[in-house]
Amino acid sequence: MTAKTYTPAAATVRLRRLPPPLIALILAGVLFLVGGLAAPGFANPNQAINIARLAAFLGIISIGQTLVIISGNEGIDLSAGALVTLGAILTFRISGGQNEMIPVALAAVLLTGAAVGLINGLAIAFLKMPPLVMTLGMAGVVTGLIYLVTRGELIGDDPPLLGQLFSEQLIGPVPGVIILWLLIGVVMWVVLERTTYGKHLFAIGVNRTTARLSGVRVTRTLVITYTLAGALAAFAGFVLLAFTKTVFLNLGDPYLFPSIIAVVVGGTLLSGGKGSYWGTMAGALVLQVLTSLLRALGIEPAGQMVIYGVILLLIITFYGRQRSLRQ
Amino acid sequence: MKIAPIELTVQRAVKRYGGVVALSNGNLDVRSGEVLALLGANGSGKSTLAKIITGVVAPNEGDLRVDGQAVRFSSPHAARKAGISAVYQELSLVPDLTVAENIWLTHEPLRAGTLDRREMQRRTADLLALFSGAMRDSLSPETSIHTLPPDEKQIVEILKALSFGPRLMILDEATASLDSRQVDRLFNLVGQWKRDGMAIVFVSHRMEEIFRLADKATVLRNGESVGTRAIAETTERELVGLMIEGMHEFERRPPSAALASAPVRLKVEHVTGHGLHEVSLELCDGELLGIGGLQGQGQSELLLALFGALRVSGHVTISGEEARFKHPKDAMQKGVALVPGDRASEGLLMIRSILENLQLPSWREYGVPIRMKKAERDGAQVAEELRMVMASLDAPVNSLSGGNAQKVVLGKWLLRSPHLLLLNDPTKGVDVGAKSEFYELLNQLRDRGTAILFYSSDDDELLGLCDRVLVMHDGAVRAELAGDGLNRTALVAASMGAAG
Repeated sequence: MTAKTYTPAAATVRLRRLPPPLIALILAGVLFLVGGLAAPGFANPNQAINIARLAAFLGIISIGQTLVIISGNEGIDLSAGALVTLGAILTFRISGGQNEMIPVALAAVLLTGAAVGLINGLAIAFLKMPPLVMTLGMAGVVTGLIYLVTRGELIGDDPPLLGQLFSEQLIGPVPGVIILWLLIGVVMWVVLERTTYGKHLFAIGVNRTTARLSGVRVTRTLVITYTLAGALAAFAGFVLLAFTKTVFLNLGDPYLFPSIIAVVVGGTLLSGGKGSYWGTMAGALVLQVLTSLLRALGIEPAGQMVIYGVILLLIITFYGRQRSLRQ
Repeated sequence: MKIAPIELTVQRAVKRYGGVVALSNGNLDVRSGEVLALLGANGSGKSTLAKIITGVVAPNEGDLRVDGQAVRFSSPHAARKAGISAVYQELSLVPDLTVAENIWLTHEPLRAGTLDRREMQRRTADLLALFSGAMRDSLSPETSIHTLPPDEKQIVEILKALSFGPRLMILDEATASLDSRQVDRLFNLVGQWKRDGMAIVFVSHRMEEIFRLADKATVLRNGESVGTRAIAETTERELVGLMIEGMHEFERRPPSAALASAPVRLKVEHVTGHGLHEVSLELCDGELLGIGGLQGQGQSELLLALFGALRVSGHVTISGEEARFKHPKDAMQKGVALVPGDRASEGLLMIRSILENLQLPSWREYGVPIRMKKAERDGAQVAEELRMVMASLDAPVNSLSGGNAQKVVLGKWLLRSPHLLLLNDPTKGVDVGAKSEFYELLNQLRDRGTAILFYSSDDDELLGLCDRVLVMHDGAVRAELAGDGLNRTALVAASMGAAG
């Protein structure tokens, strides 16, 4: 270790040795600073908090998505968007705008989401339905049921406490949702890295035969994972109501694909078995900085979509090459 | 139906895979109207030789001649054009296509450049008629392959090889999944093809079938053709002798005196299912019981069944207690461990760390949240015991060599101090150094009183390590060899299903 040569190639190799979540985090920081240069006034503390607030919400939707993608075998939850909508509508309706009804609404949201996730999990584990097909079908069923039951008339109101808790400033200038998100980050780290469930989840994501022959109950782990994902997606709808204050029938849909992309940008393998929630958190930040930046630069929406898409493809290609270098 | 005559000779064929010589001197010759049997123990090179003839593998050296002309097949397709087609035990059928589509894949009957479906149906029906009465009548050219049981798939595979109109057909263990009626029918057909002038190469592990069907037999040993005998002029004994000649017998460690009084750990009675037939055995603490036989005779299934990974009927007790395991987890709780046959696909999480692989069966024991320091200490200890060569416990398993990766598979079970250890061919693809360390470890485990059931495809290991060996054949225990009866001749003879 006497002489070090810094060539661009060596720097790339060095960068590639960094864990993807760190790369994503650095990228989010760089984008934010670049934004400050490109659009004066972009990089200020208020903007940072605002971005974190929006990223927190996306991050909460992506919790379940992270678990499901880690579980492998093309694991994915396409019903997450519909469940976000359902969670918000249930909260809106059950609380009817009354703060004291929030706990009841929350319980209903979690139970309903868990029930939907349980059906997903049972069908995927026992009927061997491909997750993509099952959860896409479930998205249709949930959306259809919402239409059927409400007939498009969404009665209810948002309880003011919800907005105060999550959306508005709670501690100093920091809104509650960011604090909630950080707490979730800690809990998720413990769940994934320090519980038997987490270890088993990674194991079934890599190789289900090995997992089973090592005593892991594969189907049970799978069902638990999809059930959790359902409950957490509906919970994200509960939190979303704090921002939107109102509900509509495709409220959650625009969040579905970003929730998957955040997971992937955070370095979780789409093929399963490897990943982290703090990666997803960094991924959500990258997406949100990018969105805000493009908007601040005054690029028209169509152009935003193009740039957004290209940058994501570049990131994912980079990770793909990194993996092939390692194997 | 007259078939154009063919004469095929292979001389001094050599095939190396990296540094491993699979075939060092392969010779055979076969001509029209003849059935040649290829015989040999595990790893003798008979499959490699068969694959060279059919263009599946290209030999590094050697001379392959069809009708006296030197040829070189670049692919199975090239061999088929020369009139050589093969039936393999590992089926090559496409599950989602129909019987007819599978049979005619790559040489579909055409009319004006498009698929002639009617002609294809007709020809398929003609082929299926060859086995009529020996399989379900409901089987039609339009049946999807994935709905067929293994025996009917095997028949479709045979018909597919036949559909190319071969002059020479290779049947590689093609009878393994057929019942006796179907085997009879196949043998009648082979007799017919022979009279029509086809040449047939028959690879089988069933001595009885070889004597029924073949005209002559070529024996391979350690990658070398060591002799050819006319079946009419030879005996099972002579062929078995050729298969093992010159291979030395082993010094065995004397059976420990304590063994006679050791308690019975595992008792298996009449286990049947998943290809197993009425398997019974007994295993004491501190005993190393070998399972031998050719590959794929139910050894893996037996071990998986004992570990709760396959459901079978019959009666199993562990230390006198009834053991009806529904899941490997149940077996683990009773102190049973299984080192599976295929490291990469059954034993390891390749992209995860060494520590996570070692602790996968044991995380439950470390509480919530997992006491990671203790898990790391235990993992480091077992890694040291097994002398694993690694960068750190956090390195991914796919960074390890074969021998070290196998140590991880062993280590994850040693961490649980099992009472009963099931080993499925644990030294396959492991270097010599790691092997001898492994043998040492087995002896240590025996001294500690661990009961070990040890399947190996390496006869030397069984002869060198075990006090007693059960030889499996077609899912049943064919012979129990011990004491003076445990020698290479007896082991190979029993592997081939030979009487006595």
